[in-house]
Amino acid sequence: MLSRVASNLFWIARNVERAESSARVLKTRLINALETSEAGPLAEGDWEMILDICAVSSEYYDIHPVCEAEKIARYICFDRTNINSIINCMENARNNARSVREVIPEDLWEILNEHHLSMQNENVDTWSMQRIHEYLRDIQKLSFSLQGVIEASMLREEAYNFIKVGKWMERGEKTARVLNVVSEKTKELKLQTETDHYYYWLSALQFLNGYDAYLKRFPPKMEPAQVISFLISYEQFPRSIEYCMEHVRETVMKLESGQVSHYSEELFDAMDRVTQEFMKIKFRKLGMDEIGPFLDKFQNDCNRISSIFARTYYFV
Amino acid sequence: MLKNYPSSSFYDEMVAESSKVRPHYEKFYRILQKLADDELLEKHETAQLSFLRQGITFTVYHEDGGTERTMPFDFIPIIIPAEDWEKIETGIKQRVKALNYFLEDIYNEKKILKDGVVPRDLIENNQYYYEQQAGGLNLPHRNHIYLAGIDLIRDGNGVYRVLEDNLRNPSGLSYVFQNRFVMRKVFPEFFLEHDIRTLEHQFSHLYQALLNHVPANSLSPDNPTAVLLTPGMYNSAYYDHVFLAQQMGIEMVEGQDLLVKNDIVYMKTMRGLQRVDIIYRRIDDDFLDPEEFRDDSALGVPGLMEACRKDNAVVVNGVGNGVADDKAVYAYVPEMIRYYLGEDPLIPNVDTYFLSDKASREDVLSRLEELVVKNVGASGGYDMLIGPQSTPEQIEIFKEKILENPAQYIAQPTIQLSRAPAFQQERFYPCHVDLRVFAVGCDHIHVLPGGLSRVALKEGSLVVNSSQGGGGKDTWVLREGAENNA
Repeated sequence: MLSRVASNLFWIARNVERAESSARVLKTRLINALETSEAGPLAEGDWEMILDICAVSSEYYDIHPVCEAEKIARYICFDRTNINSIINCMENARNNARSVREVIPEDLWEILNEHHLSMQNENVDTWSMQRIHEYLRDIQKLSFSLQGVIEASMLREEAYNFIKVGKWMERGEKTARVLNVVSEKTKELKLQTETDHYYYWLSALQFLNGYDAYLKRFPPKMEPAQVISFLISYEQFPRSIEYCMEHVRETVMKLESGQVSHYSEELFDAMDRVTQEFMKIKFRKLGMDEIGPFLDKFQNDCNRISSIFARTYYFV
Repeated sequence: MLKNYPSSSFYDEMVAESSKVRPHYEKFYRILQKLADDELLEKHETAQLSFLRQGITFTVYHEDGGTERTMPFDFIPIIIPAEDWEKIETGIKQRVKALNYFLEDIYNEKKILKDGVVPRDLIENNQYYYEQQAGGLNLPHRNHIYLAGIDLIRDGNGVYRVLEDNLRNPSGLSYVFQNRFVMRKVFPEFFLEHDIRTLEHQFSHLYQALLNHVPANSLSPDNPTAVLLTPGMYNSAYYDHVFLAQQMGIEMVEGQDLLVKNDIVYMKTMRGLQRVDIIYRRIDDDFLDPEEFRDDSALGVPGLMEACRKDNAVVVNGVGNGVADDKAVYAYVPEMIRYYLGEDPLIPNVDTYFLSDKASREDVLSRLEELVVKNVGASGGYDMLIGPQSTPEQIEIFKEKILENPAQYIAQPTIQLSRAPAFQQERFYPCHVDLRVFAVGCDHIHVLPGGLSRVALKEGSLVVNSSQGGGGKDTWVLREGAENNA
């Protein structure tokens, strides 16, 4: 397979996954905002958290002087200058798909193309918040359909594997990012108010589609340490970092037919290192002070794996 | 449906004089009449949507970049009886064969120039003549034309004539298949009762012909690696490229995916470099290899031509084919057929006047309002004047253009685009059509049954190019004896 093709497949999955998680995070926040009083520094800080998860907040402030729910929602959904806006991710995914049309299922292309066509006739500037809600739901459904097509119709060959690696990598990184932002946030607040802020850990679970799953497994009590270990290393949870990295590794193994060759050695080394880190923390409780550095390091490791992966298969 | 169908001096594919349907359309017409108006409209819309959804689009360029558009589809097919098709097929084979001899000749011995059959300066000063790059290449089977698209029209008497040869990168093959596919899906009722030459298995011809272009130094001559080289998804014919690569099962590559090392062409795969033997390029000559053509080309592959010269790779269609499908050289094709094959042309040209010739120029300038003027270097319906449909101002502008650069233009009588009914905006009306016939060649020439019927959907318009609002129709070649059942 051409390296360019492999790279585009990888990025189709990443872009769609990114759009889906931004949609979920934003939707969760919009609903929570309805339930809590929507004023004061607290709410503003909560919105900033959303920016940190889905975008780069400094870039937002370059355009908008204040944190404001609707402005942020539009920035995350539709702003063309925000490289990670949902609309940009979907457009990128379509372009990725378009340039590899001959290797992906027709349905995969058609779903992305249909979405593109439907958005072409819309003037999103006139959309109400209600309409934006619908849009976020549509994006999530779109991602589910695409995953369905991939699972139902792709041969378990190289193309499939590159798509999967893209998806797991994006997911793992996003979980780390959410954890990082939320633990920063609670640390800040703890200094100010001397209480634990369970509310944020609950949000973290919701951002990552893990709230229901968590409740099933654990008693309905938001113990921060338990939430953290659930999101980092609960093997059965498909967005836990461990689950994602385990699947990246497994898929790379398939690409390499179970063998470590000289050109893939570095990639396997990098993945091994991350696994070792997990093992270290898995069986002991992390103190709140250790979490930040651990997550920082993990995010760096992920970026490293991503770039070694790209190098190993000669992505341009 | 044909109650208010106007008659005119143009030949009509479906309707003969006094509003009588031609025999080979009778069965189609009978079935059509059974469909209710709203049913027709619904089917028409289903067909358009199906193209859009599948993203079967081409790109129209304008100042702000490009817009993807679908080619409008018209469901009334062009039906060609078996004996007419046989003549077309033989005529196309003859023409492509002669053109191929011509290309081989002018890039090697130039006999036809020495014998004065084609004027030397017409070739040697031609902007598409790449003697330096393409001269003396050792091409497999001496073949320059892998895929040709020959545009045919019919004059007032229904005689087929060649309007244009496309020997570089003729596009539209995907539409031939997609038009048929959509037509079958939306109007299955027509197919039950017609015996039509099928389009299946055409790709095995295309694929086999491509693989026959094995370079002399290939390491795997029995199983060569062929790729389709596309300029990328912003190219207007990108869908065509996707479709061809998909159907032939060959890798579609961009310039950045190829690399020449020690005069050998490789593609960059996830497992490293893999040797490539045959490159079916859909990139213009100018952009093919920045070392030998435009050095600002980011689409091309540096060193590609040298690899060809060393017989390590073959590029099809041949480099420098443009010199043979030029609108001025076109006028000499009947002579080429006589010269190389000793035969009379089976399909005549449209009369063509050279404006570099003083007498013709004066004659043409005196009656521009009845002629068509074309820029010899342009394509896609750009830079042309259709006399009868132009304002005095437009004619004046062209007069100046011609006087400024007479060798750049040719003129032809405004004839001779036959018409056929089209169903658009909920009614039937006559539209002008032409037919692009595709020929595939290597050691022998194969003609695809039918081709792409292009239709000028703007009422009265004579421009069928998709970039100018043209659409497509399915083209049916009836099987031998099928007509008798009509």
